[in-house]
Amino acid sequence: MIKIEKRNDVPMALYFFTPFIAIILTILGGGIIFYILGFNPIEALKFYFIIPISNLYGFSELLLKATPLCLIAIGLSFCFKSNNWNIGAEGQLTFGAIVGGGVALLFYNQEGFYILPLVILAGAIGGMFFALIPAILKTYFNTNEILVSLMLVYVSKLLLDYLVVGPWSNPEGFNFPETRQFSDSSRMPLLFEGLRIHAGIFLALGAVMLSWFILYKTYLGFQIKVSGLSLKTAKYAGFKGKTMILIVFMISGACAGLAGVGEITGPIGQLHRMISPDYGFTAIIVAFLGRLNPFGIIFASLVVALTYLGAETAQIFLQIPKYTGQVFQGMILFFLLASDYLLFFKVKILNLKKNELRH
Amino acid sequence: MATDLRISNISKIYPGCIANDNVSLQFKSGKIYALLGENGAGKSTLVKILSGVVSPDNGEVFLNEKNLKLSSPLEAKKNKIGMVFQHFNLFETLSVFENLSIDATEDNKSLRVRINEILKKYNFSIDLDVPVLNLSAGQKQKVEIIRCLLRSPKVLIMDEPTSVLTEQETEELFISLKKFCDEGILIIYITHKLKEVLSLCDEVAVMRKGKVVSVSQTHNERVETLANKMVGQKLAKIKKKINISKNKDEIFKVKHLNFYSDDPFETNLVNLNFSVKKGECLGIAGISGNGQNELFQILSGEIITPDTSIIFRNKEIAKLNPKQRREYLMAFSPEDRISQAAVPELKIYENVALNNFKSSNFFEKGLVNEKKIKEHSKKILSDFSVNTDNVELKSQFLSGGNLQKLILGRELITAPELLICYNPTWGLDVGAINYIHETLIKINDQEKSTILISTDTEELLKLSDRIAVIYKGKLSKIMPSEEVTPEKLGVLMGGGSID
Repeated sequence: MIKIEKRNDVPMALYFFTPFIAIILTILGGGIIFYILGFNPIEALKFYFIIPISNLYGFSELLLKATPLCLIAIGLSFCFKSNNWNIGAEGQLTFGAIVGGGVALLFYNQEGFYILPLVILAGAIGGMFFALIPAILKTYFNTNEILVSLMLVYVSKLLLDYLVVGPWSNPEGFNFPETRQFSDSSRMPLLFEGLRIHAGIFLALGAVMLSWFILYKTYLGFQIKVSGLSLKTAKYAGFKGKTMILIVFMISGACAGLAGVGEITGPIGQLHRMISPDYGFTAIIVAFLGRLNPFGIIFASLVVALTYLGAETAQIFLQIPKYTGQVFQGMILFFLLASDYLLFFKVKILNLKKNELRH
Repeated sequence: MATDLRISNISKIYPGCIANDNVSLQFKSGKIYALLGENGAGKSTLVKILSGVVSPDNGEVFLNEKNLKLSSPLEAKKNKIGMVFQHFNLFETLSVFENLSIDATEDNKSLRVRINEILKKYNFSIDLDVPVLNLSAGQKQKVEIIRCLLRSPKVLIMDEPTSVLTEQETEELFISLKKFCDEGILIIYITHKLKEVLSLCDEVAVMRKGKVVSVSQTHNERVETLANKMVGQKLAKIKKKINISKNKDEIFKVKHLNFYSDDPFETNLVNLNFSVKKGECLGIAGISGNGQNELFQILSGEIITPDTSIIFRNKEIAKLNPKQRREYLMAFSPEDRISQAAVPELKIYENVALNNFKSSNFFEKGLVNEKKIKEHSKKILSDFSVNTDNVELKSQFLSGGNLQKLILGRELITAPELLICYNPTWGLDVGAINYIHETLIKINDQEKSTILISTDTEELLKLSDRIAVIYKGKLSKIMPSEEVTPEKLGVLMGGGSID
């Protein structure tokens, strides 16, 4: 018989070490999958994890992809730490991009230093507003935020679809489902000539520092921490539960909105249907892989960004569909959850025969 | 055929608590047996052992002298032991019939015939094809009973079956149970409601702290004798000196406290009115589950009830949350130390910061003032003799007694005018209990008031100046504690009335 028991003493060091175990297991698991598919696993893994970042351009691409993941995951960590399950960051990203993009389109034929800040602000507000919907429904109507935030993803994606096909489509665009190109004043400044990495990375780093400060040095952070560990205690201490739910959703939505605006004003430069390869969903994995810790999230966003890049490289050189990237992301989450489970619980195999003898 | 169920020397030890301590009992068919005890007395563990959910560390179960190996619920079912749990195990969105067919071994047609026979025989009226979520609690329970009856059980165990039923449904249940009993099914009825035991059962076993403390015929028992056995009243009485003169000011006054909950597992409170004088300890006695939880949460501000008036130091505070009430110098010590009053994963100083009142300056302009919190925590640790001086220690490493000292210290260091505590010595060792009792008496000596909600009669008689009893959400009249005897409390706690 198998018995599962909670461990009483979980060493903190190990708690921060298990993400590494999960990553190693993911790489091993990936190797096995490549082997079964008939590729030389070492070779394939090299294409996946080493070739993509072996030059400066690749490294810039890594940071480019890690930027939105990091931003969104930072926002999500506020929600997850306080037991609010916002899984609709993809929707908040899209809505932020719609609002930010709308402002950018207003100024499509104008120049000015003030345009980009306006666009970024609009994106953050858009995301914040969209995250407020599940938050308000949760606090005042007791709805389940998981369902509402998830379903709103499709609302915002369909809205974006409608806008780029209909009212916002480029009049000179031969009916392609895309808007005009934004003016240069609406674009994130590039950091280096010839590389796509842009100033949005500073937004992500700023969010990391700010979130660390809020989570560990302020009363709000303390309330978030307590609520996450025990809602009963939070109630007993008299924390304003509803206000806190609204605040964490707003923070989370604003971060996702910023990520969305970063994408459209950065590498994309206009609105079209595919502004995000599901960054909003993948960031959930990033947040947990980073242990909801701001600096852990930086590291996790780089690792997960690499699975995006690796998948593209593997598609080009090995003709493996790029959706294997999602397989890798899934494996990371799976191994992380599994190693967490084994960290917090121990599995005892009881020998029934021995027991019977004793009776 | 007669059934004979014998439990022999059953022990089950969980980390830090002995749930069953060498329990031996014997049951014979043709009678209804009650297993009586407070929450945590070990009834549920025993029942789980009988139904194969938990295996005992020691001891054996015999059914008609056959030694049963109850290693899983399936084994229990095979051995004709049926069980109806307090929380139903039904799929809400499936129909009644689908629920019943899940673990059936026969085909649907003959199953339906058999179910209809049972419905007819016992006069149950349930539509088999409606989803379970449309049924009332009583009907759901009938579905669970039918599920057991389909397996023609020899033993039927009912775990707190009336906690979610209306009076009418309870009567119906009792009629059915008596019928089952006449047909030779051995019935074991688990409850903490004394009146039900007396009206339904033939024999009663009382459990306390994991042990069987008495087995007797119900016709030899009264509500108060059972209540005393259940809570373990010792006759020796130690009382604090009553230090109340009649004309002290009322510091705290509750009027029209009503609470209605949709949750069938919560107790409704009906028109509670009471007041507390300066320097007084008001004791609220009662068997657990009679509304104490709800009362504590309303007094602390965790639940806000409309139309209730709570006056504290001449101010209306009924609409304030716990944090705001603390500003008016109230303090609260809940029953649940581990998951409510403190968070085990937090460090000691972080748990201290949970009682954040304005003048503490723990959080200045929204920022954490760690130095201040730590200084304050150090003072609590030394003033309330908690056996550590490391404020960075996680609270989970404190023993129950030390954790309770920390919590009381945190609540008392603000010098509150009123402390409301709920089972403050629950599960503690004698040394810690004495320390906490002394502390509570000291507060009254300093002209501060306390409300002590407790299920421990001895503690109440020792500490209270006046005592009231809560029963099914209603409060008895408030009595000066010198007029109160354990016998009187026993009657009131069991729902009886005195004088």
